[in-house]
Amino acid sequence: MEQIHYDRLQETLYHEVLDNGLKVYVLPKPGFKKTYATFATKYGSVDNHFRVAGGEETSVPDGIAHFLEHKMFEEPEGDIFATFASNGASANAFTSFEQTVYLFSATEKIETNIETLIDFVQRPYFTDQNVEKEKGIIGQEINMYADNPDWRVYFGLIEAMYQKNPVRIDIAGTVESISTISKETLYTCYNAFYHPSNMLLFIVGGVDPESVFELVRSNQARKSYERQGEIERIFEQEPEQVGVKRLENKLAVSMPKCLFGFKEKEIGLSGKAAVRRDLTTKLMLDLLLGSSTALYQKLYDEGLISDSFGHEFNSSPQYAFSAIGGDTKDPELLLKRIREEIDPLLESGFAERDFIRARNKKIGGYLRMLNSPESIAHEFTRYQFRGGDLFDVLPEYESISLEEVNQRLREHIDWSQLAVSVVVNP
Amino acid sequence: MTNHVFQHGNVGGIRIHVLPTKTFKTYAISLYAGVPLAEETVTPTALIPFVLRRGTASYPETTQFRERLEELYGAGFGFDVYKRGDYQIIQFRMDTINDSFVQSKESLLGESFAFLGEVLTRPVLEGDSFRTSYVSTERETVRKKLEAIVNDKIRYAAERCIEEMCREEPYRLHPLGQRGDLDAITPDSLHQSYLSWLDGAILDLYVVGDTSPEEVQKLVERHFGLGNRSASPYQSQFSPKTVMDVRTVEERMEVGQGKLNMGLRTSITYKDDAYAHALMYNGILGGYPHSKLFVNVREKESLAYYASSRYDGHKGIATIQSGIEIQNYNKAVDIIRKQLDEMKNGNISDLELSQTKAMIRNLLSEIQDSAFEMIAFDFNRVLSGKDRSTEELMSQVEASGAEDVKRAADTVALDTIYFLTGQKEES
Repeated sequence: MEQIHYDRLQETLYHEVLDNGLKVYVLPKPGFKKTYATFATKYGSVDNHFRVAGGEETSVPDGIAHFLEHKMFEEPEGDIFATFASNGASANAFTSFEQTVYLFSATEKIETNIETLIDFVQRPYFTDQNVEKEKGIIGQEINMYADNPDWRVYFGLIEAMYQKNPVRIDIAGTVESISTISKETLYTCYNAFYHPSNMLLFIVGGVDPESVFELVRSNQARKSYERQGEIERIFEQEPEQVGVKRLENKLAVSMPKCLFGFKEKEIGLSGKAAVRRDLTTKLMLDLLLGSSTALYQKLYDEGLISDSFGHEFNSSPQYAFSAIGGDTKDPELLLKRIREEIDPLLESGFAERDFIRARNKKIGGYLRMLNSPESIAHEFTRYQFRGGDLFDVLPEYESISLEEVNQRLREHIDWSQLAVSVVVNP
Repeated sequence: MTNHVFQHGNVGGIRIHVLPTKTFKTYAISLYAGVPLAEETVTPTALIPFVLRRGTASYPETTQFRERLEELYGAGFGFDVYKRGDYQIIQFRMDTINDSFVQSKESLLGESFAFLGEVLTRPVLEGDSFRTSYVSTERETVRKKLEAIVNDKIRYAAERCIEEMCREEPYRLHPLGQRGDLDAITPDSLHQSYLSWLDGAILDLYVVGDTSPEEVQKLVERHFGLGNRSASPYQSQFSPKTVMDVRTVEERMEVGQGKLNMGLRTSITYKDDAYAHALMYNGILGGYPHSKLFVNVREKESLAYYASSRYDGHKGIATIQSGIEIQNYNKAVDIIRKQLDEMKNGNISDLELSQTKAMIRNLLSEIQDSAFEMIAFDFNRVLSGKDRSTEELMSQVEASGAEDVKRAADTVALDTIYFLTGQKEES
């Protein structure tokens, strides 16, 4: 068990890689009643084409990672939710582009709940009947998202930008694609991606690290896993340019929704370089479009944006893009105005005073995030899967310079890489 | 279990509630301002915080106002407008970094109080009136927000169900007010509304963090300066309603999935000793993934992705919500009503009781890991007049049996079934 102390954050992190390859992290939070645990596999909706070392190349139906997540909750004895409930734990799971995360939060019977979490994720139980039954439930989940304009405008943007990369596929798939899922395809994916060496367990809360490690070690020692080689994830070559410039969906909305963004040309970053680009880009977007900027205020007063206006930056080794926007009465005018206002800034760059203030804001936001065990667990896992360290973010932010942000501004805001997604009333 | 206890005081008509702790990296500050929910005042009252967040005497331009927050290491500042019982509550929140984590020259707690005090008491004015441009843009903002409710069909259906069910009570009103009333509001009339709101609102100020009641008292005296107002208590207007018939409301819209919502009434509210039993009732019916609704509507019948219930102890209302295939309406209603009957008949297993107790125990224990959750729990006491700690509530939950839950079920009556359905008649 190794220990890393982060003096400025007043946090100590304990970690160990077990013999079977499972990475385990424990962050004690003295004074906290709650323990929050996540058990994550580096396997998400984008991993639909792969080969495990020594095995065959495999393509699987859209939405299968998410389907698998649903099915993991079923055990021969029934629903695992009931077991968690008996032990006072609130359990859940989610699937994103790059990972599937199983989790619980509890204030008692922590050791029992940790074992339940590990055991249910390491014990798949799929039958023809329970797979068929799930198709109705997930079908309703897909229909729910189809009626949600925020989700539709967000996915519309990704679909507009990406032509080949599976990030463009809806995480839950479609009613048609999931209809082809069988227990055999589920086992294929499970065996490839749920090997301990592809997984990370993170536990945060009022726990004693040594006893948690002891528990996890002996739990894993009881199970036998063959060594697994590298998983090769196969992606078709993604063209540099966006697929379509503008994509429109129709849905009952009170006002159009408009999301636009820039597709990065440079991909393949990982580790510290990826983290630094993420932080610098987010800081840059905040300086450009954050709610304290003159630009934001002008657009707000012109009635072109509302409190829903925001921005984000999303990246992985395979893709990277910004998403900017919200509700607007006139998407075309909004884009025209933004371009008019941004172009002079590309020349002049940001002012030092604004830069310092925005950086402080980001540092404050980061420290606030560390109050939340949930956010720590999710963010930490996400950073690890990309080869970064969440607890290095503070010095990283402090070392970002104005020049770097200005350079990022000129790189990222490349109008030839722009795509726009809108949702309008039918 | 509660190591943390709020210390209560009163400064010039503002009740203060302080919880000194070093558990968090921030100071959490919450100011609640409550007024009775009423048709004539709901809209201007809702608009007030939107205008207050645009500028103050010291930071008249909105960009200055927001830059100031960023200077305080990106202090979180926000507000919510909602209803609790028959009150309209405006809650201002600040979340500021504890100075010891950053190299700050100013006391971030002191500066946060200065900021919040000014937001509340010294808005930017033009003569004796609010700034015209702020009032007109924020009026549009509120209008857009009211219009946007329909975009999120889950939320829209939930609010429409309540609106239909409470159509003869103030509770039918949306906390953001009524669109039709916005046009008549002028900078002058809104300033008058603001002055009487500030004069009449019940004010409660909460602070959780590395501070003391003495320090907070001094900061409030220095930065709020509201003179001598009286700190009045909240008064519940609750009276149990007798439900005669179940009313069914159907609404058509361009949707793929139908939203089925139900509104139920109970005579049990937060201040009652049976409150713990009502919590158990809701937990067994639909509060969790082991509950009857989830198990029967989703897991057994695959009818829905979500099927759950909620209980509002300040209003004596429970609601049920689910998203279903439109042609499955009758089947879903039957299954849900069957679960309600099961509750009334006392068909409640020991396992359901013990699982639900464990989940409620977890929920109550978790509260003290979050500053704002602790604040919200204590505010229940202020609202209801019932002082009941999390431990007491817990032991009442622990002590409840199937008979208690059945008695709670006897107070519950289905009032309204609301269905948001597609444009075309489905066969």
